[in-house]
Amino acid sequence: MTMKTMKLAAAFAVLCAASPAFAGKGGSAGLIADAIHSGSTDAIIAEVERTEALMCPDCVQLVTNLLEDNRYAVREVAAWWFAKRPGLNVLMTSQMLDDLKFGDAVHVRNAADYLGGVVSHASIPALTDAMNRGNVSADAKLAIVRAIRVMTNKAGNPILVKGMSDGDAGVRAASAAAWREIQGQVGAVPVVGLLNDGDANVRAQAAQVVGAMGEVNAHGTLEVLVVSDADPVVRRNAAWALGQLGQSASRAALSAATLDKSGLVRNYAKVALTQLH
Amino acid sequence: VKHAKNIAIGAALFTLAGIGCSDDSSGPLGNVDALIILQRPKRNDGGDIFQYTSYIPGARLIKLEPPTADGKITELCCSNAGAEFQQMDIMAYDLSFDAKSVVFSGRLSTQQSFGLFLLNLEDGSVTQLATDPARDFVSPMFLPGDKILFVANAVVENGAPQFQDEYERGTTTQVGRINVDGTGIELGARNLSHRAHPSLASDGRVMMTEWRHLGGVNEGDLIFMNSDMTSQREAYGREGTGFSNSYLKAREISPGRFITIATARDRTLQAGVLLDVRLGFASTSDGVLRADDQMSEAHASSVSLTPDVPSDREPSANTIGRYYDAFPLNAKEHPDLLVSWADGPVESGVLGEAGVDAVFGVYLYDSEHQQRHPILLDQDMWTVFARPLQARTAPPVASSAIDPKLAGTGLIGSMNVYDSTLHTFNPGEVFGVRIMEGFSSEGGGPRMFGTTMFEGHANIGLARVQTDGSWMANVPANIPVHLQAVDVYGMSLFNEPVWISVRGGESRVCGGCHEDRAKTTVIDPGLTMAFHDIKSAMSATPRQQRIATDVDLGNANLITTGMTPQQTLDATDKLVGMAWDKAVQPMFNGRCTGCHDGTPGPANPSYQIVDPVTNTVVFAFTFNLTATPVMIPGTEGPQTYPASYVSIAGVDMEAVERLHLMITGDYKTYAEPMNSRGSLIIQKINPMQVYPAPTTQRAFTTTAHSVDAGGVGYPELTQAESLRLILAIDNGLNYYARENSAQHD
Repeated sequence: MTMKTMKLAAAFAVLCAASPAFAGKGGSAGLIADAIHSGSTDAIIAEVERTEALMCPDCVQLVTNLLEDNRYAVREVAAWWFAKRPGLNVLMTSQMLDDLKFGDAVHVRNAADYLGGVVSHASIPALTDAMNRGNVSADAKLAIVRAIRVMTNKAGNPILVKGMSDGDAGVRAASAAAWREIQGQVGAVPVVGLLNDGDANVRAQAAQVVGAMGEVNAHGTLEVLVVSDADPVVRRNAAWALGQLGQSASRAALSAATLDKSGLVRNYAKVALTQLH
Repeated sequence: VKHAKNIAIGAALFTLAGIGCSDDSSGPLGNVDALIILQRPKRNDGGDIFQYTSYIPGARLIKLEPPTADGKITELCCSNAGAEFQQMDIMAYDLSFDAKSVVFSGRLSTQQSFGLFLLNLEDGSVTQLATDPARDFVSPMFLPGDKILFVANAVVENGAPQFQDEYERGTTTQVGRINVDGTGIELGARNLSHRAHPSLASDGRVMMTEWRHLGGVNEGDLIFMNSDMTSQREAYGREGTGFSNSYLKAREISPGRFITIATARDRTLQAGVLLDVRLGFASTSDGVLRADDQMSEAHASSVSLTPDVPSDREPSANTIGRYYDAFPLNAKEHPDLLVSWADGPVESGVLGEAGVDAVFGVYLYDSEHQQRHPILLDQDMWTVFARPLQARTAPPVASSAIDPKLAGTGLIGSMNVYDSTLHTFNPGEVFGVRIMEGFSSEGGGPRMFGTTMFEGHANIGLARVQTDGSWMANVPANIPVHLQAVDVYGMSLFNEPVWISVRGGESRVCGGCHEDRAKTTVIDPGLTMAFHDIKSAMSATPRQQRIATDVDLGNANLITTGMTPQQTLDATDKLVGMAWDKAVQPMFNGRCTGCHDGTPGPANPSYQIVDPVTNTVVFAFTFNLTATPVMIPGTEGPQTYPASYVSIAGVDMEAVERLHLMITGDYKTYAEPMNSRGSLIIQKINPMQVYPAPTTQRAFTTTAHSVDAGGVGYPELTQAESLRLILAIDNGLNYYARENSAQHD
């Protein structure tokens, strides 16, 4: 993989440094390098955070390299570091947008995580295009969905809807779960269909989302799931969702679920019964 | 406390015939039949003290009976609980008062969040409590009255995202509680940063760690709150009274006395020094040392029980190690403790580099002789949170302090704002108390609000101080607010450096503006004048509407001479978020930029930052109040902050010093965040009086810039314009406000 480079004058970092710099102190390029050498995710995160407001030209390439780390937590803190440096962020965002268009699956993944990490709302159309590319891996799609979840922006809804029909169950589950986290989101109509998905985790995520979003029309399907789904997590989430929806018609199903063989389900069903109208 | 040498402690490690391993029934474990212990697969993540999502399957709760190194281990949970529990990780647990059940926070798989589970010790059954399956619920603890307290990343405010902490970007955990039967879940008010590691005191209050972070403060301190999640109060660690940066996993030794882990915020696997914290004056009776006489942060003290263990983030030495948790077995002056301890460099970077994990094991710690006596160690596991498996006395159930008459809002105020240990006010100089809401970037807003490291701010109201010094305000429940005492010019006289929050129906009235903590203050809001003039600080305004309109932000005549006091307050209350591009830059345009346009000269002083080693200019800048994006030498691209913001906010002087750079030329810091009164630009403008009604009286005796500039190119700023700049500075000198958020477009 080709590492990104930032041909930057030292002045970049100066400008981005703060007036009275408070928290996020005590770091240096050397400490970041040591942390990277240690391989410890915790150490890398801690040291990158410590250079939050430091004018540190030598940090730029180190942190740039971290944008291509295999660990999401590391890529995320590296993006956060760039978000604290608007001038650098403009340049890096431009490169990442190119990666979304032309990069391989790993570059698309990294680019999406970057754009989410710096909360680049303007990149949502490019993320949408990338989601629609035919040659993007499940990992990359997960990152695109994750970026929308971080931004909590309704403009990303088409990405989530697309993700809900993806061939990869992880992408479908993540897309459904992200639907709930979008600010101002109303209803969960696109999620309802996933209650019958072949993957248990997708069904489980869909159940909690339709419950949290008050998608009343889903109660019939949920009533079936709560008593008959083979997966106890799905039954549990269906019970919770039925409680959130509060439909009196769900009483029989929930009553039956109070006797569920799994300890995951029984209390959820009992509590849900108390929430029915 | 004697300071034992390392070698003595090391030798003690090999002493198996320690107190806990003997048959002497008079020892600290003499009346303990069994211990309950948590074992988690060892790991090298979650080093930050507020991390809670670390997951590796294979945790278990065990019983060790008798509590000795050769005791019998019996698994209590969860491999025998069913197929769905086989991949369980367990974060923390608590034992019920009758010792018949355990509540624990567990995670079933990577695809699941942490939930709350009840383990029935009599039949081994495990039941998950009905919490939101998409949110994490951790660190549960039994409360008297058949309730369980927890911290969770669920959000109390419907439709709002939970806060993300500025550091580690973790979704913050806040306090909540639920009935043991799974019903009645309720979430407490939230702060901008995490609240974590709760434990129960014998007076029924809850002690926990709160990440205190406002501007320059960044630490985890101990706070109290009532079991109904009201009446939060500082306990230990604040205002320079502490021992280290952070304190966690506090447990009561005796009334007013707690054992806690003292360490840095990150990289130490949540492990550190064993610290004996005494909140009041200590006294000893029947061998029990307690410290509940006149408890206050001002009277608090601490004793390190492990003086060789680093209290910061330095790697610990071999045989010294770090302590993960402690459970007091008695309340002697030098208490005996059940502890979890790991040897060697318990620091994530060193461990990562060596490719090893810390291995915490359970020991009996004799703090008088600073000796550890091994009880249980598993090289593949973290063996932690050991405690006697026995019943205990429940504290009394505290009555709820929630007042339904507040209709879901919160009430805050002071009996007398002039009563302060942190600042001396001149009589009559405080016009009001500014109430500011805090927020982070969780709503999809920018990752940073400016270059000054302050959280997002929104002015939600100015409560007038009455002649008796009192003030009160209704505020929205469950949001963090921050207070400033303000003069008649709208400038902050004193900034209280802490975020507070109240539940719906909670009253939080203090004695003063950080009154003497050692003094007894009678809090009776009904006696104050403010009780009859309670300010409504957007208490019923939804979050999305707690913003200023572009029209109001751009209205130079929002405040005019001739307004009544009420009209003035109503007008200034419209200035909510000081988005630089909407509230400040338009004011500079035309009024200031005729002279301050970046053309070097007396009106636009220049400076350079130079690297003296290479003699290269790192950065050159000329004062400029235009919106011109600052261009970077090398032309790689424009800085996104305008020159005006760079001019006023300046550069990071600490970083200049740290990198041994030099500033040549005429550099000044024109604004000090949260201190408009002390800011050069405000002194230069010399604003006119705003409150109670606008007048032409100026704030300072110096000549106003409109006069010394000779009237050339500088029309006088209106009072509304001056106030916007004052607010921008007192809000932390941010560039962005909620008014910039894409979610508000």
